[in-house]
Amino acid sequence: MLLIAVATAILAALPAGADGRRYTIAFANLTEEPGVMLEGTGFTGREVRESFALAARRLPIDLVFYDNRRDARAAVANAADAVRRKADLYVEYFDDPAANDAVARTMREARIPVLAVNHPVGDAPLYTADNAAAGRIAGEALGDFAATVWQGRTVVGLIVGPVGTRQLGLPERVKGVTDGLRRRRPAMRIVTLETQGNPATVAALIGRAVAAEPNAKFAIAALNDVTALAVKSALEQAGRLADGVIVAHGCDRSIHGGASDRKEIDPNNRGSVLLGSVAFYLDRYGYDVLPLALRMLRGEPVPARTTTAHKLITAANVFKEYPPYDMQ
Amino acid sequence: MNLVSILAAGFLLVSASTAVAQTDCTRLVPPSPWGPNDQTGATNRVTPAVTKAAAAEIQEGKVIPMSYPLVDGVPLFGTRFTKTILTATSLAPGAAFGENELTYMEDTWLSQSHVGTHLDGLGHIGRKDCYFNQIAMGKFINQNMITKLGLEHLKSFATRGVLVDAVKVFQQAGKLKTNPACKKPCLDKGTLITAADIQAGLRMYNATLREGDIVIVHTGWGDLFEQYPAQNATYNSGEPGIGKDAAKWLISQKVVAVGADSWAVEVIPGEDPKEAFIVHNLLITDNGIHILENVRTDLMAAEAATTNRATFFFNMTVPRAVGMTGNFVGIDGIR
Repeated sequence: MLLIAVATAILAALPAGADGRRYTIAFANLTEEPGVMLEGTGFTGREVRESFALAARRLPIDLVFYDNRRDARAAVANAADAVRRKADLYVEYFDDPAANDAVARTMREARIPVLAVNHPVGDAPLYTADNAAAGRIAGEALGDFAATVWQGRTVVGLIVGPVGTRQLGLPERVKGVTDGLRRRRPAMRIVTLETQGNPATVAALIGRAVAAEPNAKFAIAALNDVTALAVKSALEQAGRLADGVIVAHGCDRSIHGGASDRKEIDPNNRGSVLLGSVAFYLDRYGYDVLPLALRMLRGEPVPARTTTAHKLITAANVFKEYPPYDMQ
Repeated sequence: MNLVSILAAGFLLVSASTAVAQTDCTRLVPPSPWGPNDQTGATNRVTPAVTKAAAAEIQEGKVIPMSYPLVDGVPLFGTRFTKTILTATSLAPGAAFGENELTYMEDTWLSQSHVGTHLDGLGHIGRKDCYFNQIAMGKFINQNMITKLGLEHLKSFATRGVLVDAVKVFQQAGKLKTNPACKKPCLDKGTLITAADIQAGLRMYNATLREGDIVIVHTGWGDLFEQYPAQNATYNSGEPGIGKDAAKWLISQKVVAVGADSWAVEVIPGEDPKEAFIVHNLLITDNGIHILENVRTDLMAAEAATTNRATFFFNMTVPRAVGMTGNFVGIDGIR
């Protein structure tokens, strides 16, 4: 167990809720390990954690953070510690069903309500990404583009990434892309390219795929942002940049950037073949989850399942969704 | 750019330009309380009576610097730059003038205006193309400048300054979360300074705001500016600052400007991740209240702590640079 921080920034001087109470909410994060990407996107646990700290600033909440370290024993121990600390509510983000069952039992016995993130915890309300919807958004955007720009041309759909992974909602994401593409272009041939999660494989995969279809256009769904950037580079290497359009999933900072970053999705880069990225907003989970938690604590009903409002981020809306307001 | 890209760009441009073309500034920005032709904003409040009252703050003649030297390497927002070039010298042999051998030097300052300690003018920030006093700025720009709301329209800033020591407020409330890169106590980035915090800071020195004041907030974040370039990345990564309710309260107090020892005065990351620099909109666009960024506050904070007085005569001259949206300024607090 690793208790990594008690948020001291949010203390009694900040506003209490309408009922005059401040609540202690414990958030057990999946992992804080640097470089570990979550949910098949480019977001890290640190970004998830920061979103909770930022979202709590205007809420009557004192946060206690835990790191589950992707370790079942740590997850169970963290829950026990939160009980000892008399947390008012426990937000559990962990991906092991057995550990989550144990956490659910612990919290039920302690009469502490639970809110689950991305993975069920007993019968607790679940906040989760909607991979099917996200994939569908990507597929439909690609299909729309193909229908508008490549009318009458042979268009091949490519889905690139760890397509065989059975976890992280990736099967649903792949199916969503397929459904979205077929909704717009029912006869489109769709090919999956397995990267095993290694973007270095993309150049060869794309090179072979486009070489086999010298006259085709390619509507390409990349399952994450880093893969999308690799696909763009691969198309360039193959001399086929003009024959492809790409939609990514995630929309992490590598693709929308800060004030001075080179931003792939940028109003000043409208001509990119990387049309957009479907936002997964892991860096804003706190803004969605903490209001739900407050509603639970106030005895208000919350849905059994609340999903992220995924949206396609393009050059037209990226500055609205992700204002580059830092100085970096 | 290939054909696909051109078509995609066209598709996006059509949606973007449609949004701009529909702007009705009367729906986005309130009118100025000083009338439909007003381009001056809150410095209208600096009346002779206000300046005279502020002069009462000068009791010892002590001058406290409140601006940082502008020099290569200080943190700059985004792609901004500032550079001086010595453009005329007469030190070469034989180049001196006359029997008195007069020599001279001049320089060219190649710089964006919002660098170092600087003032945000009323032409700096808008909503869509709508700026202070419902001015549709798209009609009032040319290749070189804005033709409305330039700095030439501003009146004097000779008024009273009031320092709010947010570091002390947070220390006394037991909620100071500092940043390890700060050598002196500072509020960490993302720390929200509320209206209640501002009011606590005023109470700390028995100060009450009056119309025409300039409020300067000491967050300690300027300590990182002083460490340039070593801490530029940390300084730039965010900042402590006021939030929306503090901005609204300061607006209600009819201040002329709000400054801080940070690069945007307002809390970054902001309270709502989908809002960009919303306090800038509230102060400048909606109310004609200036923002002063990268103000040096540590010396005045120390002075206030020593003397238990947080008010001073605010001495700042803004160049009457026609058509400019802001400018590097020098500020002294005189006591």
